[in-house]
Amino acid sequence: MSLQLDFPAVLERWPSFLAGAVLTLELAAFSTVCGAVLGTLAAVGRGAHSALIAAACKIYVEAIRNTPLLVQIFLVYFGLASLGLKFSAFTVAVAALTINVGAYTAEIMRAGFEAIPRGQIEAAEGLALSRLQIYWHIILLPAIEKVYPALTSQFVLLMLASSVCSQISAEELTAVANYIQSDTYRAFETYIIVAVLYIILSLVMRAGFWGLGLVLFPRRRRLGTPL
Amino acid sequence: MTKRTFLGAAVSACCLMLIAAGPASAADLLDEIMQAKKIRISTDVAIPPSGMMDASMKPTGSDVEVAQLLAKDWGFELEFIQTTGATRIPNVLTGKADIIISTLSVTPERAKVIDFTKRYATLQSDVGCLKSLNVKDWPDLKDKTIGVSRGTTQDTTLSNMKDKELKIARYDDDATEVTAAVSGQVDCVGTSATIINQIGVKNPARIFESKIPLATFDLAIGLKKGEQRLMDKLNAWITENVKNGKLNAIYKKFHGVDLPPDMRS
Repeated sequence: MSLQLDFPAVLERWPSFLAGAVLTLELAAFSTVCGAVLGTLAAVGRGAHSALIAAACKIYVEAIRNTPLLVQIFLVYFGLASLGLKFSAFTVAVAALTINVGAYTAEIMRAGFEAIPRGQIEAAEGLALSRLQIYWHIILLPAIEKVYPALTSQFVLLMLASSVCSQISAEELTAVANYIQSDTYRAFETYIIVAVLYIILSLVMRAGFWGLGLVLFPRRRRLGTPL
Repeated sequence: MTKRTFLGAAVSACCLMLIAAGPASAADLLDEIMQAKKIRISTDVAIPPSGMMDASMKPTGSDVEVAQLLAKDWGFELEFIQTTGATRIPNVLTGKADIIISTLSVTPERAKVIDFTKRYATLQSDVGCLKSLNVKDWPDLKDKTIGVSRGTTQDTTLSNMKDKELKIARYDDDATEVTAAVSGQVDCVGTSATIINQIGVKNPARIFESKIPLATFDLAIGLKKGEQRLMDKLNAWITENVKNGKLNAIYKKFHGVDLPPDMRS
């Protein structure tokens, strides 16, 4: 049996593909920003003096890193509804993705914190910097710079993982593809197009992070090396 | 359910090409069945309540009982050829089974590959909502979200009603759609009448009922093309059992609703 590909039949649905790709990018953008904040807080929390906060952060990170994303999404989507709280599929998707990527971000950030030489912190204390100043200038910013490549790759992974949100009726790129292939019976063509679109989205995100890195880390831009 | 339907048609079309070159049997299928004193029926037993396994792992369900009734009336031994939605049609095309009784809805695509008897049941799809909701007609659905299984005929039908400004939430399968209705994510669904009735069984706090009819599919027995004698005998059997109400009784027992009025005596 010979395989005949008919791309025009699928490509004429480009407005749907575009809408799906835009929603995927929106999902990724919101959850990246929220997840970065949540993850950083969790990483800071793990090193907190209070044993309670440290334990809570550890439980959060381990619980999320050891359960599948799809299960987490269902838990939030159906769990909240069972409690009588109804949110849109988009809100739930962003919340679930944020919770998920936050845990991974926390682990990456923790690695960054641990990579800061003790001597630098002692030197900062010797120069009479306040605790807040030390945390911001000596620990947090250099740590982010060190783990920046790992962080960006995690966020790109998050964008790809957002494809499972089609399960809870968020009409992102994969959901659009599932619909189009069931309507046109052109599954192979549809998923080839979607795969290409995901590659383009990944490249766009990587380029964006690269540009952001240039702005955020001027020292690296000048010298070409991390701290 | 209908997504599976179309997949089945596609797979069966492929299989037909494969077996087209095979040897054709000369003997009449009805003679073969009479000689063997055994009828082999292709039924999917993983789609409750049409086909499923009971607690002792015996097949049961509306299609299973229809098959059992047929074998009993004709005095043949019954052999179930277990199948999935996609392999129902290939089973009769390759001679693994004699006939299909397995929520097989009559579609033009399939009619190119196999023959259909008269309908022995129907598959009604509706928009169903929480019983307490006051939904009489389409305008009442305006601010409600309707859950559907992505790519099914219900999805396509509702999506094409652009002028009605419906909000549709598409889930990947019936199970997720039902969970969305049971847990309260959606208060309306577009699916088969059977599934609408099952939501209330799963969560008695959220009883759903059919509000607006969408479409009706005829379910028929499928058999290999060109077996006219077997076809006549099956049609006569269906006519008789529609008239005596046995088919309706089986349907009602498992689906909780009657067959349409014109199929009841």
